[in-house]
Amino acid sequence: MSDIRLEGVTKRYGTFAAADSVDLSVTQGEFVTILGPSGSGKTTLLSLISGLNRPTAGRIFIGGRDVTNATAQERNIGLVFQSYALFPHMTVLENVLFPLGVRKIGGAEANRLARDALKLVRLDGLEERRPSQLSGGQQQRVALARAIVFKPDILLLDEPLGALDRKLREELQVELKQLQRTLGVTTLLVTHDQEEALSLSDRIMVLDKGRTQQVAAPTEAYLRPANRFVAEFLGIANFVGLPDGGQGLVRPERVRLSANGAANGSGKPAKVVEAIYLGQMVRYHLALEGAQSIVAAVPFLGTAHAPGEQVMVSWDSADIWPVT
Amino acid sequence: MKRRSFVAAAAALPAVSILSGTARAQSKEIRMIESGGASGDSIQKGYIDPLFKKTGIKVVRESPSSLGKLRALVESGQTSTTLFELGSGIVLQAKKLGLIEKVDWAAVNPAAMFPEAKNEYGFGYQYFSTIMAWRKGVKEPQNFTEFFDSKAFPGKRCLPDYPHYCLPFALQATGVPIDKLFPLDVDTAFKKLNEVKKDVAVWWKAGAQPPQLMKDNEVQYSICWSGRVVGDPAFGVNFAGGKSDLSFIAVVKGSKPEDKAAAWKLFYEMSLAENQAKAAEVISYTGPSPELDALLPKDKLWQFPTSKQNKAVQYFENAEWWAENGEAVNKKWEAFKLSL
Amino acid sequence: MRTAGRPAPRGPEDDDAMTRSNGFSFIAPLLVLMVVAFNAPIVYMLGLAFWEKGRGFTLEHYEGLAETPVYLRVLGNTMRIALIATIANVVIGYPLAHWMRSLGSRARMFAIALVVLPFWVSILVRTYAWIVVLGNGGLVNRFLQWSGLTDEPVSFLYNELGVTIGMANVLLPFLVLPLFAAMVRIDDRLLQAAASLGAPPRTIFWKVYFPLTLPALAAGALLVFILCLGFYVTPAVLGGGRVPMISNLLDTLINQIPRWEQASAISTILLIVTLLIFAAYRRLDRKASA
Ligand SMILES: Nc1ncnc2c1ncn2[C@@H]1O[C@H](COP(=O)(O)OP(=O)(O)O)[C@@H](O)[C@H]1O
Ligand SMILES: [Mg+2]
Repeated sequence: MSDIRLEGVTKRYGTFAAADSVDLSVTQGEFVTILGPSGSGKTTLLSLISGLNRPTAGRIFIGGRDVTNATAQERNIGLVFQSYALFPHMTVLENVLFPLGVRKIGGAEANRLARDALKLVRLDGLEERRPSQLSGGQQQRVALARAIVFKPDILLLDEPLGALDRKLREELQVELKQLQRTLGVTTLLVTHDQEEALSLSDRIMVLDKGRTQQVAAPTEAYLRPANRFVAEFLGIANFVGLPDGGQGLVRPERVRLSANGAANGSGKPAKVVEAIYLGQMVRYHLALEGAQSIVAAVPFLGTAHAPGEQVMVSWDSADIWPVT
Repeated sequence: MKRRSFVAAAAALPAVSILSGTARAQSKEIRMIESGGASGDSIQKGYIDPLFKKTGIKVVRESPSSLGKLRALVESGQTSTTLFELGSGIVLQAKKLGLIEKVDWAAVNPAAMFPEAKNEYGFGYQYFSTIMAWRKGVKEPQNFTEFFDSKAFPGKRCLPDYPHYCLPFALQATGVPIDKLFPLDVDTAFKKLNEVKKDVAVWWKAGAQPPQLMKDNEVQYSICWSGRVVGDPAFGVNFAGGKSDLSFIAVVKGSKPEDKAAAWKLFYEMSLAENQAKAAEVISYTGPSPELDALLPKDKLWQFPTSKQNKAVQYFENAEWWAENGEAVNKKWEAFKLSL
Repeated sequence: MRTAGRPAPRGPEDDDAMTRSNGFSFIAPLLVLMVVAFNAPIVYMLGLAFWEKGRGFTLEHYEGLAETPVYLRVLGNTMRIALIATIANVVIGYPLAHWMRSLGSRARMFAIALVVLPFWVSILVRTYAWIVVLGNGGLVNRFLQWSGLTDEPVSFLYNELGVTIGMANVLLPFLVLPLFAAMVRIDDRLLQAAASLGAPPRTIFWKVYFPLTLPALAAGALLVFILCLGFYVTPAVLGGGRVPMISNLLDTLINQIPRWEQASAISTILLIVTLLIFAAYRRLDRKASA
């Protein structure tokens, strides 16, 4: 188990910087998510950390050791690819045995480790199948088992759930979290799905165009984003004017709604444009005066405002976070 | 080509029904499969063109010819091809297999011919010789004893990859005169070949190989077809002990009478010395007329298989003996080849 | 998979049956053509050795082969040469295809064109071109002698070496093209995955890359081997007639002597050997992909 430190890590393809002076510090056993839109350099970053790629500039430390120029072989990192990258000519068991064989672990010992890893990802019984005979979720678990079976210092997961359907994804998110806790392995997960990032990790790093935008705990980044990009990327953002002329962020959950002319009817009048039921919540799209629109998420308590209805909206000034 | 012959056949049909019984009916176009190359061109210039001029009969050529092709033709029952070129040994085989028709020599009514050319089953139209040749500048052998003596005549050899070519020459090297070659003493011949095989760089399958190899100086001496080397200043040749052989044109079994009638007309043209002289302008092989020498250029008489000075020093292929013993000898030949 | 108890909808099934029968009626003429044009002559050829006009069934031609095994020895020699040529092809072709995979797309096209080029050159011209290059007075020997590496010309031609070189040249595309296609299909991420799991380059090659190319390599090598068995021109010219091959023997037996029955018996054995090799390959292949 080990910690990761990136210092000014840069990867250029020609003049284009896929990763641009990235700094990151991950403590031992921590679960950090790298979040960013497609093409923001997430995979590039993982390939640099895993040693499949060399940075153009900057240094990488694992467990305090400078591994910037070490090969993948010398790093002992478990990497799960976006596409799983299972060996098609090997069975599930052979896939999981592969990293053990490389480490000269064989025989009964290897078999025991491999079967344990498969049990951990709940794939026992499928040892003799080929990857092509498995569902996407099962393939994903094989990739996971293969990446953890050799007790890596670090686990890197590149959009591990990206290709799965929603229900399966939510199920596996929980499993992944539990697994990480059980193993206590330092984990870096890459995703472009903000919900996944918020629900899984101890901290998140938001990435855009190869540059770090913010590194913070999920709630911190959600409520107090470092900039407009982070604010907008992490969920729905309402921007309101501030007295000093700047802009402030109010999350939908912090917006209050009351019927027009109600007793405590402070705030601004608005018209309901759309009301979307999300189970326990209703999401309102509202039009304020001056064509400004605002989104509010309100607990559903049996009745809701209909589109066209006039309401009053308000929020606490303490819930406004200034952004630049 | 196919369509034209079909049209011709269709056009001939009503004529047959009207004139049936009169053997005079005769096709305006027949087809021939010959061995191709300059030899085919010589047939065109020497015989087909004169025939067309005189009678309007067209002969369409196609190549190459092989016994396998002939057998396939006959066994498939087709009658579109009338004439087929065959080597002297193959004529015997084809006759035995019933693949060719007898020649109606009375209908052909040929001019004077060497007797061996006037075969019951074919027209021996072209004499060709297999002789020793060398690259100019090396020591020149006078006979096959010298040819195979690589100590006195150093250099690489190129020999035919065919037992019926090699064995009689090897036997001559042991002192057997050309009139005593057959029945062939196969074992003595092989013994000689075993002695000289280390000097043989290439065993040729295609007649184009030996002159090319001599030009490239890959080999210095070869046994090859006379037509490929005579007249080329790069080579010396000697007909002594050479093999004289005949190519035949035969009539495919089951040919229609009117096609055969046209074929006899062509055979007649082939027997004329003046036509044979035209053919010899294209290739240094000669027709079967004893009067041909007089019509050939005097300075080139030494190049031709049948000119008096050459015919006398060569032996004539013994096709009967080979038909009898060919397969057994071939087995030994393959074993010999495996020992190389 | 249909769930038990739930009646299957009829429509799609009928559709299926219809397209199937339609499909068959479409290819039926082609099938008949194939059978008539290719298979019937083969059966006829095979039958020649067993059946003689007026005598009926006979095994004497096979007995003849067993008694004078020289023809079988030629067959064995052919197999040996074919094997050597195939191995030479693999040794040259595999690295070549692997190298081509690493090229950029433009360079790849160029390399493919170069590999395929021999297809467009007549086999005779190509074979004679080798004489110009490798002959005693050829480019290579002139260079060797000029540079003082040898005094005497080296005999590249008119021996088994010449045949092997010629065959390898002619048949290289048959091996390289399928192999190259298979190599290009290999996802780089598989190799990266192996590296990330701690495998050194050697292990990545032998445990991941090579096994993934093995089916194409086997298929290509098999194809080359079978084509080698039937080679005629190259052994005759570049082997200087010193390397007896079965196709030359068959030519003699068909067109010279002629003993079609004997040729048929040899061909049958050749066909059976080829089919056996093919069957063994299929077995291995199925095992590998099971
Ligand atoms: N080998 C490469 N050569 C050139 N550009 C590359 C290469 N690999 C990645 N890139 C570019 O770097 C950027 C980041 O890629 P990547 O790290 O795969 O993004 P992400 O995983 O966040 O979607 C993309 O614009 C991509 O086109
Ligand atoms: Mg990616």
